[in-house]
Amino acid sequence: MTDTKQPDSKQDEAVDPNAPITGMDYFMKLEYHELICPVVREFADALMEKRLIGHKCPKCSLIYSPPRGYCPICTVQTTKADEIEMQTRGIVTNYTVVTPVQYYGQEETEPFAKVSLQLDGGGNLSLQDLPGVPVEQVRSGMRVEIVWAPDGERHVDDVTNRSWGSAEGAIRGWKPTGEPDADPSEYSDKVF
Amino acid sequence: MVNDIAIVGYAQSPSWRASELTEPQFLFPVISEAIERAGVERREIGFTCAGSCDYLSGQTFAFVMNLEAVGAWPPISESHVEMDGAWALYEAWVRLQHGDIDTALVFGSGKSSPGKPAEIYPLQMDPYTLTPLGADPVSLAALQARAMLDAGKITEREMAEIAARSRKSAIGNPYAQVSGDDDPEALLKEPYVTAPLRRHDLPPISDGACAIVLATADKAKALSKRPVWIRGIDHRIDIHQPGMRDLTESPSTRLAGKKAGVGDAKVDVAELSATFSHQEKLLCEELGLGDDVEINPSGGALAANPVMAVGLARFAEAARQIAEHGKHRVVAHATSGQALQQNLVAVLEGD
Amino acid sequence: MSSQAAAVIGIGQTKHKKKRDDVSLPGLVREAAQRALDDAELNWTDIDAVVLGKAPDPFEGVMMPELSMADALGANGKPMMRVHTAGSVGGSTALVATHLVQTGVHDRVLTVAYEKQAEGNAQWGLAGGRSGGMGAGGIFAPWMRTYINKSGAPEDIGWKVAVKDRQNACKNPYAHLHLPDISIEKVKESPMLWDPIHFLESCPSSDGAVAMVLTNEAGAKKAPRKPAWVLGTAMRSELGTFPGRDTVRPQAGVECAHMVFDAAGITNPREQIDIAELYVPFSWYEPMWLEGHDIAGPGEGWRMVEDGSTQITGDFPVNPSGGVLSSNPIGASGMLRFAEAALQVRGEAGEHQVADAHVGLAQAYGGAAQYFAMWVVGSSLDAVGARK
Repeated sequence: MTDTKQPDSKQDEAVDPNAPITGMDYFMKLEYHELICPVVREFADALMEKRLIGHKCPKCSLIYSPPRGYCPICTVQTTKADEIEMQTRGIVTNYTVVTPVQYYGQEETEPFAKVSLQLDGGGNLSLQDLPGVPVEQVRSGMRVEIVWAPDGERHVDDVTNRSWGSAEGAIRGWKPTGEPDADPSEYSDKVF
Repeated sequence: MVNDIAIVGYAQSPSWRASELTEPQFLFPVISEAIERAGVERREIGFTCAGSCDYLSGQTFAFVMNLEAVGAWPPISESHVEMDGAWALYEAWVRLQHGDIDTALVFGSGKSSPGKPAEIYPLQMDPYTLTPLGADPVSLAALQARAMLDAGKITEREMAEIAARSRKSAIGNPYAQVSGDDDPEALLKEPYVTAPLRRHDLPPISDGACAIVLATADKAKALSKRPVWIRGIDHRIDIHQPGMRDLTESPSTRLAGKKAGVGDAKVDVAELSATFSHQEKLLCEELGLGDDVEINPSGGALAANPVMAVGLARFAEAARQIAEHGKHRVVAHATSGQALQQNLVAVLEGD
Repeated sequence: MSSQAAAVIGIGQTKHKKKRDDVSLPGLVREAAQRALDDAELNWTDIDAVVLGKAPDPFEGVMMPELSMADALGANGKPMMRVHTAGSVGGSTALVATHLVQTGVHDRVLTVAYEKQAEGNAQWGLAGGRSGGMGAGGIFAPWMRTYINKSGAPEDIGWKVAVKDRQNACKNPYAHLHLPDISIEKVKESPMLWDPIHFLESCPSSDGAVAMVLTNEAGAKKAPRKPAWVLGTAMRSELGTFPGRDTVRPQAGVECAHMVFDAAGITNPREQIDIAELYVPFSWYEPMWLEGHDIAGPGEGWRMVEDGSTQITGDFPVNPSGGVLSSNPIGASGMLRFAEAALQVRGEAGEHQVADAHVGLAQAYGGAAQYFAMWVVGSSLDAVGARK
């Protein structure tokens, strides 16, 4: 366990030596090293080859990307045999614009958007980025395509077992294709 | 006074030093196996309860992902305790007492491998006075062992014998992580890790899971030829501050054992969550288990210690003694906190 | 043994505040617990078991805090449990305590829930310590937008709920936010946190605790004050993310409501329930839950807000206490709903008392709107029947 000084530590403020002690700051650091599970490793390997993969449930055909190794709805396990390559174009089904709250480790300072996508040919992704698109232009129905990190810069060092938000080293985000927006009937039952 | 509830299915994962699978991934087959062995339909299960801990793997809301291993669609009636799966079993046992549902699934799971126990567990202590001191499980257990040694309640040789017996019992147990034929004399020649504890006095660091299916009496009889009846179950907690406790005693274990009826008849076997060797002797004393009782035929927590599942695994091993080895009356014990602060005791019986 | 009657005979809560720096963590829970015991005129030794609930441990940095709180809660030598079901935990914890009484396992159970957000960092905890955390509002905002689009609700519905709950909170001395000058204009002009949620449409971050004493029929008859009888309980959970999930009207919420209505003998919730305390951390969840729990028909929930039905003087008052929008000690927020519903049917809610409240509904939800806990409490065991 390590004590670390928080950036906004108040220790520089004048302290009244006679004031009663009502609290103390105690900062700790815990380190976790988790092995990447096989299905996520395969997902990461595919990202390096500019391929987006998922597992298609053999029973209900729902697609999970990144693969989980099972379909939680049918409670069946999925394997490499259920792997499919997904299309890298799709529709924004919903979005959220987050005004970042400051907390220890928060690097965002300006409002940012996260979107949910329905990919052409099937498969849904959540918590995706639209870099370069002003947040006020983000909308449901927008057609987008993937933006891969360029060769040489692409990496999967931050990929974890813990869902999305860690593939930015390989996928910069998604960009509008400029096509007309999709009709809500094409995606409205898939917003999640 | 209470309705009899039976264990009708149980399953465990192996205990791994570090599994590359995620918690829901290794829970998945364990839950499926327990349900299959119980012979119930997954959708028939009336209540589900889980035990796990966010801090183990360092993930807030870790238990939410574990729900994926259950198959919670369509929706299910479900709860979760931030405690060992044995307390999830207790909550389900209470829920089944209502009599409006007849089956329950309980499971416990944990991955200790990603973190460092000596860093994490001080957070389980009083946050103002003990966490900043870095009060870790091995140090606290060592204080307890020292107190027992000083009080003449155990010897280092007895501790080594307990460890050697546990490792030997674990040979052939597919779920065990540490096993082997060790000479207590040789073990005593090993250096201390934290005096008076040597490596063999400590549990392994483990990843693993356990699942159990419970049923009410009529349902259990319909499902199983050899239901394992929960004849008594109780749990108690002691004072937290180690300085205010006599660490050579465990009043909570004694009281829970009494309430569960451990002493009411002869006990054949006991599966105890003795995470450190000396704790086995203390637990046996408090539960009144004599030399005629076989202790931890599975190897116990010294052979496999998947935290949050290890207590529930004692129920699975105790049930196995009755359902597969023809034993009649078996005690299962689980613990929470450091130096046996909180304890749960159950008496299981065959027909 | 099967089910027997259970009742709430003691209720206590702390003043909820941004920062309760006058008490430690055990001091906070003990304050609520002592008040619940005082209300029931019981001593610590009268309690058979303690059931504690709170949201994730990383919020305060204390792992399995029931262990270090055992001393402060007088649990030494007693059974103690710790429940954790995300945001619904306060509700689930009360239900675990209720079940212990209903099944006759214990006679008197103390149940406590708390959060001391100022002693940690919940935003850090929610983000798993990483940058770019969405916050709870970031997860729920798209679903609210979908509700607005599907139901055709006017945008001022959310503002109205925000104003109503803060006005109610001014009548509740324990509430964190007291904003007597709140107005539609102020809500509308407050900063947008997660479109469509404005700052004043969001819950605060609070320190606080709540406790209840539950007992059986014999115990309730000896109680010094009117008991609140538990007429029905239900818990329901579903998977949080899968393609095609209805996040606006989660199936687990629908089923949980029907289970609790059935258990309490309620066939027409709008008519037979006098007051509801619903978990509304963001204003739009009031109409969403009215519809999501089949209290209102599709697209009717927002009309109940618009026509004033959910006001404290309306025909279906929702959150007369001020709700989660006015006090949000996360782990306690669910149990506060349960306790406030009980206070109402006991007639002990003080200035925010709803007239003639005999049947109360409390609900808590958590996770990705996937965990639900509910109870119906009544002023008598046949309170629902008397309503027909």
